[in-house]
Amino acid sequence: MADLVMSAVAMRRAADVLLHGVGGRVVMLRMPATASAGDVTEQLGLAVPQFQDVELAPVVLERGSATGRTMLVSANAVNALVGSMGYSAVSVLFADAFGVLVDGVLMEVESVAETELGGAAAIYRLSLRVPVALQA
Amino acid sequence: MQNARDTFYVTLRDRLAAVNPVRTMVVRGVVRPGLLVEENELASAGESADVFRLRWTGLRVDAEGALPLVAMGCEIRYATDGSAGNGGMDRGRMLAAMCGELVAAVNAQPQNVGKMNYSTSPAVSMGTNVWWGDVAFGAVTVNAERLEQVANVEVFCFQEAGEL
Repeated sequence: MADLVMSAVAMRRAADVLLHGVGGRVVMLRMPATASAGDVTEQLGLAVPQFQDVELAPVVLERGSATGRTMLVSANAVNALVGSMGYSAVSVLFADAFGVLVDGVLMEVESVAETELGGAAAIYRLSLRVPVALQA
Repeated sequence: MQNARDTFYVTLRDRLAAVNPVRTMVVRGVVRPGLLVEENELASAGESADVFRLRWTGLRVDAEGALPLVAMGCEIRYATDGSAGNGGMDRGRMLAAMCGELVAAVNAQPQNVGKMNYSTSPAVSMGTNVWWGDVAFGAVTVNAERLEQVANVEVFCFQEAGEL
């Protein structure tokens, strides 16, 4: 069991090194604040929630189609965010996220997949949607 | 017409909550009745099963009378996978229950309510009413284990002077 845990830790570190080595960079994950209970103005689109930008690194961005990007992100970084922000799971974190801010452009998270190494997630692969206004 | 849309949403939300108080959803950490207006939520909000999603579609304005008569198409979308405990075999019954709740809420008398302006705090009552027809259902769509339904309601109001 200890070997398995050590293996997973080693694999995650290896994934971090790999992402850093291929030019890993920093992006911001934009999270909306909790809604106001019983506030009808939010339900009617009259009030806008507060947002918090949190750092996500190391990540590597792949240029996919004109409408999308693929982002690889370290599982260590994601798990640290899940823990510090009090989320129950990675899927909940990304489902709640308003988007990923890359060089001033906010991209919506369309889907999340994970690459498992040594019995645990080592890298998350996010499909991001480019805003309609910027689609070539 | 935005005031009429807001008024219809709040009325329908309250009626649905009265019909089935346990149909709720969690939006950004807060429990709300199980009806939302798509255009009022974050674009990133995912689609959830077992709740109602309201979408405004068509719009017609008849300017013949003293006040312009506005007719708005309202689409209400909902879906269910059934319950996991029953292996989804109750999805038909759960969809039927949602259809029943919608009929009870939309077709309940009176099918009108005083128009409110929610952009001020507190909301203020306006001089005319919002009224609507009976709910009309489209065909059920089967999407793998998910049953999806679209219902339509036509909502009417008078456009008051100075109203956007």
